[in-house]
Amino acid sequence: MEFPAALFPSYFGAGPPREEWGPAPAAGWGEHGQVLEAGPGRRQAETAFVPRRGGTGETWEPADAAAVPFLPPNASCWVPSLAPQDILYRGVLRRKLQAGKCEAALDFTKQLGHFFVDHPEDAFGSLGRLLHQNFHLGNSKLRRHARESTIRMTALREEIDRLEARRGCPQQHLVPRLRWFSHLSRDWLFEVPLGLLADCVHEDLLLQWASLLFDDSPTGGALAWLPPKDEGAHTGRLVYPGGQAMNHLYFQDVVLEELPRARGSPAEFELNGRIRQVAAARADGEDFVGVRSDYHCGVWRVPARTGAAPTPLQVIRTSVPASCLTVSPHLPGELAVCTQSGAVYLWNVETGLQRLRHDPQTMFFRDHSPWRWSDFTAHPRVLSCADRTGLQCLDARAPGRCHFDLFKVGEEAGCQQGERVVLPMYLGKAYPSQHLITTQFSVYMLDERLPLVPVLKWAHMMKAPPLFAHLTPGGPDGSHKVLLGSSRTQELLLLQYRGEKWGTGGGSRSACQLAGPPQKLHSIAGCLQHLPAQLPYRHRLLQQRLSAPAAGLAAALQEDGLQESLLVFQLSEAGDVFYQRLTHKAAPPPAPASGDEAAAAPGSSPLFDDPASSPPGLGSEGEEQEEEEQTFYFPQPSPVAALRYRRWLKALSKGCGEPPQHTRPPTFGQKRLFTHKELEEPSGPSALHRQARQRLRQAMRDGGRIQCWDPPAPQPPTLPQVPEPAGDPDPLSARLTAAWSGDCEQWREERTSFNVAQRQQALRERRRRQKRAQGRRSLSASFTSSLTYQSELSELSDAPPPPLSPGRPREVS
Amino acid sequence: PSHEYKLNFKKSKEVCLSYIQDAMLQKQWKRAAEFLTFYIESLEKDFSTEYMGPSEMIWRIGTEILCHHSNSSMKEFNSFIEQMKTLGVKRYLKVCLEHAFHLLCNGLIDEAYQNLSLAESWRFGEQTIIQNKELKLIQAYRGLLDYYSWCKQKNILLEHGQDGFEDLSVEQEMHSCFRKAAVSLKEIIEIPGVWDLFVKCYVDLLEFYGDHNEARQVLNEYAYNSKFPANPNAHVYLYQFLKRHGESKKSLISALKILHDIVPSHELMIDFNIMLQKSKKRKKRRLGLEVIFAALDYAGWKENVKAWSCLARQVKQIVMSEKHLDWIKQEWNSRKDWWPAFHFSCYLAKRNWQENESLSYEKALVAGILLGKDCKYFKYISHQGCKAQVKRFRILKKFVNKHSPVYLRISS
Repeated sequence: MEFPAALFPSYFGAGPPREEWGPAPAAGWGEHGQVLEAGPGRRQAETAFVPRRGGTGETWEPADAAAVPFLPPNASCWVPSLAPQDILYRGVLRRKLQAGKCEAALDFTKQLGHFFVDHPEDAFGSLGRLLHQNFHLGNSKLRRHARESTIRMTALREEIDRLEARRGCPQQHLVPRLRWFSHLSRDWLFEVPLGLLADCVHEDLLLQWASLLFDDSPTGGALAWLPPKDEGAHTGRLVYPGGQAMNHLYFQDVVLEELPRARGSPAEFELNGRIRQVAAARADGEDFVGVRSDYHCGVWRVPARTGAAPTPLQVIRTSVPASCLTVSPHLPGELAVCTQSGAVYLWNVETGLQRLRHDPQTMFFRDHSPWRWSDFTAHPRVLSCADRTGLQCLDARAPGRCHFDLFKVGEEAGCQQGERVVLPMYLGKAYPSQHLITTQFSVYMLDERLPLVPVLKWAHMMKAPPLFAHLTPGGPDGSHKVLLGSSRTQELLLLQYRGEKWGTGGGSRSACQLAGPPQKLHSIAGCLQHLPAQLPYRHRLLQQRLSAPAAGLAAALQEDGLQESLLVFQLSEAGDVFYQRLTHKAAPPPAPASGDEAAAAPGSSPLFDDPASSPPGLGSEGEEQEEEEQTFYFPQPSPVAALRYRRWLKALSKGCGEPPQHTRPPTFGQKRLFTHKELEEPSGPSALHRQARQRLRQAMRDGGRIQCWDPPAPQPPTLPQVPEPAGDPDPLSARLTAAWSGDCEQWREERTSFNVAQRQQALRERRRRQKRAQGRRSLSASFTSSLTYQSELSELSDAPPPPLSPGRPREVS
Repeated sequence: PSHEYKLNFKKSKEVCLSYIQDAMLQKQWKRAAEFLTFYIESLEKDFSTEYMGPSEMIWRIGTEILCHHSNSSMKEFNSFIEQMKTLGVKRYLKVCLEHAFHLLCNGLIDEAYQNLSLAESWRFGEQTIIQNKELKLIQAYRGLLDYYSWCKQKNILLEHGQDGFEDLSVEQEMHSCFRKAAVSLKEIIEIPGVWDLFVKCYVDLLEFYGDHNEARQVLNEYAYNSKFPANPNAHVYLYQFLKRHGESKKSLISALKILHDIVPSHELMIDFNIMLQKSKKRKKRRLGLEVIFAALDYAGWKENVKAWSCLARQVKQIVMSEKHLDWIKQEWNSRKDWWPAFHFSCYLAKRNWQENESLSYEKALVAGILLGKDCKYFKYISHQGCKAQVKRFRILKKFVNKHSPVYLRISS
């Protein structure tokens, strides 16, 4: 609470930001920033100094090799969100377009084309009906009397089809006929005026592209952890969204034991909008949970008793999408709401809404973003208001008069040009007057008592701007842990900071310092390599699912006797919740022993080793250490984690169901390759021509290919028919057949639901066979007796096998 | 082909850098060091015009690795940094400054001093604004170290002086240290910024040599120059200076009043309140009440027993004298809609009673007067206090019951 007796030195300038470097990959390393005398309380001969950055922090080590699923996969088929390739030009045209400028080339014509194809009635309905009689689309010749009022459009259609087939071809040019038709009909053919429609499509494309580049709607994150009520209790709650549209809110009891586990089924609420943000704070011993969707904000109260059901308190509706919802840590039932129209409200469940500010303009300089944010401060009546350009603090009692600037994107904080505020957060749980502000380049720590001058600044080097942050306050001697998370890239970064007390006798606090190097935590996508091997297309689907953008972040501190551990939960846009555990190594890392020091001769500096003389793996440091390093680099998941992966995967494939069984293989229409005329018999073809054509037809019918064009002397011998498998095929071929047609899962289930007798019979028979053919072990036998099979069976056996429906067409067998 | 080579080279550079970054973020310093040895190749044909070229990255990454690598020693660190200093002219001062910081944090004060003085004398063409700033900082830190050696000599002299023994050479050295320190410290504290450490040292020097006017001027400038940030410490230093020199109550109060205006939650507000309560002037006592109420608005003060006892004492005084009840009324008006939930809830009553009895006593007194004897906080605490047979709680209960009409006057 006390203000530091001395702050780290820094220059202070006013005005717009001067520097313009853009993101720099290593900007956060190697700097101490400034130093400060380490406390007047120390009675030492020499003065000691502490750095602003680079001091020692606590050691938190990941307990597992990757993030582990915490809850079953969100039970619904997830539709992958928009990807850049969906709306950008691809291929040659892109390169051509990009040659001139570096901006992205939006595939505007494709989108417009999609509209015409998907909604022909809306696009051409009435004119289509009017001209119906006058356009002829068939192949037949027009009759004489019809020719007066009808034109034949077949050729035009074929041209269009061919154009589509040659999409991306460098030799593509517009056919005069098409050009002629488009010139002729552009002004009258369309139901919606083309210019207007094009404007709308273009505008929407730009919006889509902007949100692809940076989507700020999930700012703050949609995952919250409500810690246990009493110290020593082990049951907390996790609040998260789920369901197909992410519009269900869940409150799940979580028991923190050696492994965190969900207890009972969660309390569930269905909302009528996608949940963007879940914010929580504890005031007066009760948890208040605020939930933001685009047009609605709601607040729930979670009573102090464990097991008591959360109660919804109030909902507000906004006419403009809300961009922020934060819960007061000071007063029960108080929240701050911002909308994209630039309004900031203080929302009290009892007294209602109070508008503190309404300003569509940004505060310090002009920025187009309608994003606004608000949070609480050390004074319960003072709120911080943020837009992309900075932060102001407003007094709710006189919002028009009483305010001060807390942070400005400018020279005051040493910002760069183009830097923008991404997420502010009140750090009251650690120190009552500090705030965290993240931008796309740096993190800043601000103190309300010293506005505008960051007490800490660090370039975070993250690839995407941190949209989520979480604070875990440390004890009186410990450092405070801040987790930063980005959405698109799923990055997770752990920072530690502290403002330690001088000596033991109290007195004033030291200035804020960043402790220890930053640490990267596992992302959800990183667990892909630890999952059991999948079929390629499944692997792709899984990859897509696991690398869905992150949607939230929460952490729980767990103390088990002497062992402290930090559980970090991560939510993905697909609705999956993963966790990872970090354990606190209480003892500081062992200082280099004197023996080590001696061994490190001046020549063998860790940086200037000649890589040729000591290739990695054969260093002079001894096999043992090398091995240890190796395992540290490529750790394997623990058996418990592996089991969770398998369960999760199984639930995922069950929940999402099989892909539709009767999808046809992709086909190509030959119409697009050849025009009708070309496919017709030519008037006078040569014999060779005819023969070649015949062979081509034959080959296309058979689905084969032509090896050489020489005239065939004898008829090629017909391929022997593939013998239909008679009776029971051996399990390997059955499995391979199943795998080939893409339903290995079904095969597996069938295997397990085999009645036991049959299986035993099969086993007995196989053993007999094995005995008979001692010498030549068949591949199938070795496969079925292999370990994977056994483990799969045992894994599957913890759930009763679903009954096989008799009506289901069995493709296998 | 040369273009392709360049492209590939660039690509592999980037990949290598991302490997290094990845290893460092996972604290795998050895692995990072291995990759860095490969990355050093990127210095070859470094025509990059980007803000941060490979040489700067190597400096930053290498420094970081050497700070954490278990096998590194100070000797290696120094030799690495010396090489880095030759890699870029524009960065020279920055590297020197950071090097000095590293030495200082490792207790190598003399080496740091040498480094700083060497960097100070470095000249290269025209300096950019940033380089100029860095040079000033280098001078200031060098001045700071001069100040520390001045302190050491001063202490020697003071000890010896008690023995009645004077050493001319020590005294001379001390004065030369003073001159060097004063010149460079004075220079930097004239530039807008946060210079707490430098200002404190400079003022200490001036005070020792009896130049109080200059010291006062420096502190005034540091606190009141509008080009400087609103640094609470500037006002604190000024207040402490005034107090040290036995200035009048009036000037002390006016210094603290300004601190109160910019940081109502500063811990000196308790001293301020005590000072004002003692005052004979009505206006000042009124201000005292304002100050303590304002301080208790802040979350950081919620459990501060001292602050609550200050408020309780003053409120009690006012109630007993039955004069100036309107002061309380006015302060309470802007708080009555949120203080009950913020300070006087049932939950807090239970917790305060369990954790800190004296806190709950002071708060209960205030609650009883502001919210009446039926307020939950007061009821709970006085009940618990009487149950536990603590005398002061019984007296408290009597007091509040006796003065219950006051509540009606405040709340009307």
